[in-house]
Amino acid sequence: MCLGIPGRVVELHNDGGFPTGLVDFGGVRREVCLAYVAGEVALGDYVIVHVGFAISKVDEAEAKRTFEVLREMSRLDELEWIADAIEPSPGEPRDALSAANGRPR
Amino acid sequence: MKYLSEYRDPAIARALIERIRRTATRPWTLMEVCGGQTHTIVRQGLDELLDGAVEMIHGPGCPVCVTPLEQIDKALALAARPDVIFTSFGDMLRVPGSDCDLQQVRARGGAVRVVYSPLDALELARRTPDKEVVFFAVGFETTAPANAMAVWRARELGVRNFSVLVSHVTVPPAITAILTAPDNRVQGFLAAGHVCTVMGWTEYEPIAERYRVPIVVTGFEPMDILEGMLMAVEQLESGRHVVENQYVRSVRREGTVPARQRVEDVFELADRKWRGIGEIPMSGLRLRDEFTAFDAERKFGLGGIVVSEPAECRAGDVLTGRLKPPKCGAFGTRCTPEHPLGALMVSAEGACAAYYALARHRVAEPHVVAR
Repeated sequence: MCLGIPGRVVELHNDGGFPTGLVDFGGVRREVCLAYVAGEVALGDYVIVHVGFAISKVDEAEAKRTFEVLREMSRLDELEWIADAIEPSPGEPRDALSAANGRPR
Repeated sequence: MKYLSEYRDPAIARALIERIRRTATRPWTLMEVCGGQTHTIVRQGLDELLDGAVEMIHGPGCPVCVTPLEQIDKALALAARPDVIFTSFGDMLRVPGSDCDLQQVRARGGAVRVVYSPLDALELARRTPDKEVVFFAVGFETTAPANAMAVWRARELGVRNFSVLVSHVTVPPAITAILTAPDNRVQGFLAAGHVCTVMGWTEYEPIAERYRVPIVVTGFEPMDILEGMLMAVEQLESGRHVVENQYVRSVRREGTVPARQRVEDVFELADRKWRGIGEIPMSGLRLRDEFTAFDAERKFGLGGIVVSEPAECRAGDVLTGRLKPPKCGAFGTRCTPEHPLGALMVSAEGACAAYYALARHRVAEPHVVAR
């Protein structure tokens, strides 16, 4: 129900003082109410849309940062897994307690 | 970036799962209070992959599921009137009332229309001035700004044949109700990313402080949810209990201020019944007195409809984490998506329907870690 989908603002409209815009969701386009983000949204920005209303502007810098941090983490863990495969750590992999104690973070 | 598919990377998800399992020195119990998150967790089997390091309890986070029978019966009474076009989000149509659902009312000739947005219902009212158009205004704080704007615009444009049947609920009182239940097992929460997109997270700070529980504002993609779980587990392991924000690309501490303001203009706090849980004080919204003309309950005199919940549906126990859906005596037999006893078996976001769809009858008990 609280599904919100990111889409890109491709047109800005004004219906008698009521700010709306055309938003592209990966090819599907729909008119969306922009009243709640009117002060901060420009053409080309991404917004999170819920039941026809933009409820926030996607912070692109933060979005990229989160993604980069996670990707870097997975790369580091990948290296650890390789090390573990060569020299197995004690305990079953199912055993979270020994896994936490036996492997560096 | 599309801000969607990037957050479904299997390699990153695997790394996050491994990190959660390494961080947890004991099994922790977390609750998500968002149907969208429940859907992702159950469909992707995220809790199963964690192998007992974290048990997820699926909280009362699906507005369809927590809408009380009484409001459904009021909707059915309205939809059956020949002068009314009843409009609703699609997922409310199959929620069972006392003796039928909206879909059956439609099959018998009732005018029931599915709309994508409450503004579509308002537009329908403008185009059909000889009918009364009623919109079923359900939802959490995410949906409240949309419904508030529809009412606000109706007044602004002078649309007199539009009204709303309000069944709005808010998340923080539900979290508090769960934490104060005598048999509560929840040790940390994932707060719903889009509820907090609108509201921010300041309301959650006194809850985290008072009940000493970590609360992590979390998004909806698998990576978001796993990162939210990791942040909560890290807090629990280090004895911290604060509000943190995982969903930084959408949520600011103060929320989306113009949206909050419009909700405040149109609605005020009120006691609300939750399906399966009962009445929670100040846990919902109702229209302010100046918008009475748009209140369908008053316009059509529905105050006399008072209904209690069916005894066999144990939705309350599922929503508070006392019962896993497959452990319910009616699950999969007397209660199926085709013939649901309660709303949790109807909505794709409902815990019972999510378990049923994946035939996850085996996952009835939490795993035991580090025996």
